[in-house]
Amino acid sequence: MMYGFPQPKQWKGKDLPRVLSRLFDVKDGHTLAVARQHGAYSTLSKVLFDRAPFQIINEVMDSGLRGRGGAGFPTGMKWSFVPRGGGKPVYLVINADEGEPGTFKDRMCMMRDPHLLIEGMINSGYALGVRTAYIYVRGEMLPQIQALNHAIKEAYDAGFLGENIAGSRYSLDIYVHRGAGAYICGEETGLINSLEGFKGQPRLKPPFPAISGAFSAPTVVNNVETIMAVPWILTHGAKAYRQWGTDKSPGSKLFSISGDIAKPGVYEVPLAMPYMEFFELCGGLKGDLLGCIPGGSSAPVLTAEETAKTTMDYESLAAAKSMLGSGAVTPFNTTRDPVLLLQTIARFYAHESCGQCTPCREGTGYVDRVIDSLVDGHGRTGDTDLIKSLADQYEPMTTICAFGPGAAWPVQSFVTKFKSHFEAYIQRNPKHAEARDLVAVRPGAFW
Amino acid sequence: MADLITINVDGKDVQVPPKIQLIEALRTYAKVETPAFCYHPDLSVAGNCRVCLVEFAGPRGFAFGIACHMQTAPGLTVRTQISSDKVKWARRGVMESLLVNHPLDCPICDKAGECTLQENYMSQGRHESRLPDEAGKQYKGGADFRFIDAKGTDRGGKKIDLGPTILLDQERCIVCSRCVRFMDEVAKSSQLGIAGRGDHAYITTFPGKPLTHGYDLNVTDICPVGALTGKHFRFQQRVWTLKSVESIDPSDAFGANLTIEYNNGRVWRLMPRRNPDVNKSWIANSTRLLYQKLAVDRLTDARIAGKDVDLTEGVKAAQSALAAAKKIALVASGHGTIEDNAALLALKDSLGDKAEVFGGSWLPVGSADGIALSGDPVANRAGVKLLGIADNLDQLAERAGEFDAVLVFNHDLWAADAAKAAKLDRIPVRIVLASWIDATVAKATIAVGIRAWTEARGAMVNSKDRVQLMQAGPVVPNPALEPAWRVLACLAGATWASETDAFKAAGARAPRLAGLTYRTIGPMGAVLPQPALAAAGA
Repeated sequence: MMYGFPQPKQWKGKDLPRVLSRLFDVKDGHTLAVARQHGAYSTLSKVLFDRAPFQIINEVMDSGLRGRGGAGFPTGMKWSFVPRGGGKPVYLVINADEGEPGTFKDRMCMMRDPHLLIEGMINSGYALGVRTAYIYVRGEMLPQIQALNHAIKEAYDAGFLGENIAGSRYSLDIYVHRGAGAYICGEETGLINSLEGFKGQPRLKPPFPAISGAFSAPTVVNNVETIMAVPWILTHGAKAYRQWGTDKSPGSKLFSISGDIAKPGVYEVPLAMPYMEFFELCGGLKGDLLGCIPGGSSAPVLTAEETAKTTMDYESLAAAKSMLGSGAVTPFNTTRDPVLLLQTIARFYAHESCGQCTPCREGTGYVDRVIDSLVDGHGRTGDTDLIKSLADQYEPMTTICAFGPGAAWPVQSFVTKFKSHFEAYIQRNPKHAEARDLVAVRPGAFW
Repeated sequence: MADLITINVDGKDVQVPPKIQLIEALRTYAKVETPAFCYHPDLSVAGNCRVCLVEFAGPRGFAFGIACHMQTAPGLTVRTQISSDKVKWARRGVMESLLVNHPLDCPICDKAGECTLQENYMSQGRHESRLPDEAGKQYKGGADFRFIDAKGTDRGGKKIDLGPTILLDQERCIVCSRCVRFMDEVAKSSQLGIAGRGDHAYITTFPGKPLTHGYDLNVTDICPVGALTGKHFRFQQRVWTLKSVESIDPSDAFGANLTIEYNNGRVWRLMPRRNPDVNKSWIANSTRLLYQKLAVDRLTDARIAGKDVDLTEGVKAAQSALAAAKKIALVASGHGTIEDNAALLALKDSLGDKAEVFGGSWLPVGSADGIALSGDPVANRAGVKLLGIADNLDQLAERAGEFDAVLVFNHDLWAADAAKAAKLDRIPVRIVLASWIDATVAKATIAVGIRAWTEARGAMVNSKDRVQLMQAGPVVPNPALEPAWRVLACLAGATWASETDAFKAAGARAPRLAGLTYRTIGPMGAVLPQPALAAAGA
C-alpha cells in the first residue's frame, strides 16, 4: 500500500490544490475524530441544507466538474438528466471498481479519507433526492472495504448517516457492495448488473442509467474522486474551483503515476499541467522517455515528442488523439519494449472482455494471439497491418459499451507509433516473408 | 395502420409503424435484407452479435447502431449496407470475428443448409481467411482455452451431453445467447447460462444438472449455428434434401403451427412454424416427436375379426355391416379433421334414422402451459362442435344396449377410458377406422386402416376459434391408405372428388365455415367469423 503521500505543498511558488488529498498525509485521517478536526462534514449545515437541490446541481454544473472515472462526462449535466418525482427512488452508486490498469487513486482515497467520500455522497444524494446509495468496491480491495465500513459505522454513530442527517430532514443510507473484481464492472451498466446480482455485462443503451438503472430506477453512477470533489465545491464555490485548470477542464485531479519515474504515487495537481512538469514534480524520469500512457492502459499511447507537447487536461489530450482517462500516467523509457508492453495490455483486454459483442469478444482474443505469435518469433510481413485492422473493427463503437474502443486504442496506437519495434520482431522470423500456411484444402470443390 | 411515420433509409423515405424494432422495419417495410444472429422476434433483444449494424444520424453525425435495438421514430435516418461502405466493412468485420473460432465442419454439421452463419457469410462476409493458423483458439490442443469449470469438469468439446434431448458442440457456438433467453423467457426455467467471459465464454447448464424441459428442443431451432442439435435428428438427413409442407399440431387444441419435413416417403422431423398469433416460434417436444410414431404400429391394411385382409375388402365388409345393422352409433372424432367429421355426418344422412351421431371425448383435459399446449388433447374439439355434433359420448356408453353397430374413426375410445368403453363391448358390430393398431382396433370386429394426420389434407379449429390447415406429406406405411373422410364418404355413397368437396360439405352444415375456403384460410389460419356476422353474411 502506498501509505506515504509524497506530494510537496508547493510547486513553482504556488500552493498545489488539496481538494481531494487534504487528509492523505494526516496521521489517522481516516478516523472521524481526526477528520472532524480538519473540517469533515462541515457541509452538513446551511452550506447544504439551506440550498435547494437544484441549486446544488447548478453549483456543480458551474464548477465544470467532470467525471474522473475515465470518460470525463460533465457531472452536473449527468445529474440534471435524472427525472424528478417519477415515483421511483433515485439511486446513487459510487463506482469504486477502479480497474483501469495503472490507476490507484480511488483506493488511496477510500483508505486515507473515507469520510470525504461519505460527505460527498451526502451532498450529492441531497441534490439528487437519493435515499439509498451504494458504494460498489472492487472485491480485492479488502483494506479499503474495511476502512469504508469503519467510516460508515462512525458516520452512523455520529448521526451523519441514517435518518435526519445532522438534524436536517434529509436521510441517507449507504451500503458497501463488494464486486468480484472484473474490469467490465467499472462500466456503469455492467456495474449496475453486477450490483443487482447479475453477470457483470454492460446493458444496451438506451435506456441510460439516469432514466432506468439499478432496479429499473433512475441511477447516477459516479466515480469516487468525482464525488469527493463535491464538498469542496459547495464550500468554496464553483468559481474558486475554476482557479485551476482550463475552461473546459477546470479544477484539480488525482494522478496515479507509475513506471519509469523516480517517485511513483498519487499526486493531486491542477489540470492542464504539462506532462514534463508533472514528471519533474514526481522526482523526474528514469532514463530517456520513449513514450507515455497518459490515462490508463486504454488511452492511446503518446510518443516522447507528443508527451512533451501535451498538458494534462481533456482538450489537450483529445487534440493529441488520446485521453485523460482515469489519470493513470505511465511513462516508459527506452529500455522498455513497446511490443511486450502491448502484449501485456492486449492479454489484459482479451481476458477482461465480457463476452457479449462479437467484435470485442473474438477480436481482443484474436489480437492477443497474433501478438503472442509475433513475440514467439512467428511474425509475418504485414502482421502490424493485420493487428491494426483487427483492432479497427472493434474501435468505432461497434459494441454495446466503450470497452471495444478502449481495448482497440492501445493496440492501434502502439502498432502505429512503435511500428519499427514490431517490424524488428517480424524480422526475427527467418520465414517472415513467406505466406502464412493457410489450410490449403478447401471443402466443397466439385469436379 | 393509420399512424405510420416516415423514416429515411438509404436516402429513401419509408413509411413504418412507430416504435417497432428498426430491424423489422428494414426487413418488412424498407425491404432491406438485414442479417442477425442474436435477434429473434419472439425473444428479448440482446444486441450482442452486432451483425445488424447500421449507421444512423445522431447528434455528432452518423454513428453505428444496431438495428435490432433501435426503434423507429419520426425523422430517423439510417444508412444500411446498400448506401454505406462503412456498414459493409463493419459487418464484414463482425463476420470475420465470428468465423475466427468457428470450425468449418459444415460437411458433418446438421445445421448446414439452414445455418444462419452460412447464410450471413454468403450475404455479408465472403472474404478469404487471413487468420494465422497458430492464432486460432485451438480448442482441442490449447490448454489455455479448454473449458474447465469450477468443479474441474471439461466443458469443451464437440459432443457435450446437455440432457436427454440435446447435444452441444461447444466449438460451433457463437454465444448469441438465444438459447439462454429462450429458457429464461419462454420456458421460464433458467437451466442454461453463459459461463466465462471473452472468447472463452461458453454455454453450460448448472454443474451436474441436465438440460431437461418439455420445450427444450426449441433451442436447437433458434440456435443460429449447429451448436445445439437434437439427438432425434442428429446425422439423419441433410436438410437441403428435405421437402416440407405446412401443418399443425394434431395432439393439442392449441393448434401449434409446424412444418412436416420429409423425403423419400419418410417424415424426418417436425419443425415449429412461426405464427405470431398462435404458437410464436415454439412447439412442445411432445409435438415435435410425434413423427416418430408415423411408421410404428400402423394399421396398414384392414382386419376382419382379427384377420388381415385387403383394404377394399375391409371397406366392403363395413358397408354390408352398416347396411345390415338396425341401429347404428356413429362416433365423431375431435382427433379427425373437419372434413372427416363432415363425411361422418354425410354417412349419417345416408343411413337415415337408424344412425345416431355421438361426439365428445373421454380423454382428461389438463391445463394450458402458456407456450404451445392448451392441455386439451382433442385438437379439433371446437371444429366438431361447430358442425353441430353434441358432446354426448357418455350417453352412448349408457345406451349401448340399443345399438347393434358402432362406427368409430380416429378415436381410441378404449384407451381413453377403458371402464366406460367396456360398456360398448355389448355392441356386436364394431367398425373402426384407425391409423394405428390401438386398443380400439383390438376391440374391432372390422378395422380399416386410414391415413395418419401427416398424410391427408384437412382443417381443424383450435381452442381459440382459429381454423387452420394441415397439408399432406408422404403416406408412410402403405400408399394405398385413404384419408378417413374418403372412406366415410365411400360408405355414405357420396361422390367427393377431393377434400375441398368435403370442406364445402362442412360449410353447408356450419354457417361460420361457409365463407371460408382453403385459399382464404391460408398457411397462417383464419379466425372464424362471429356467429352473428356469419349469419348476416349467409
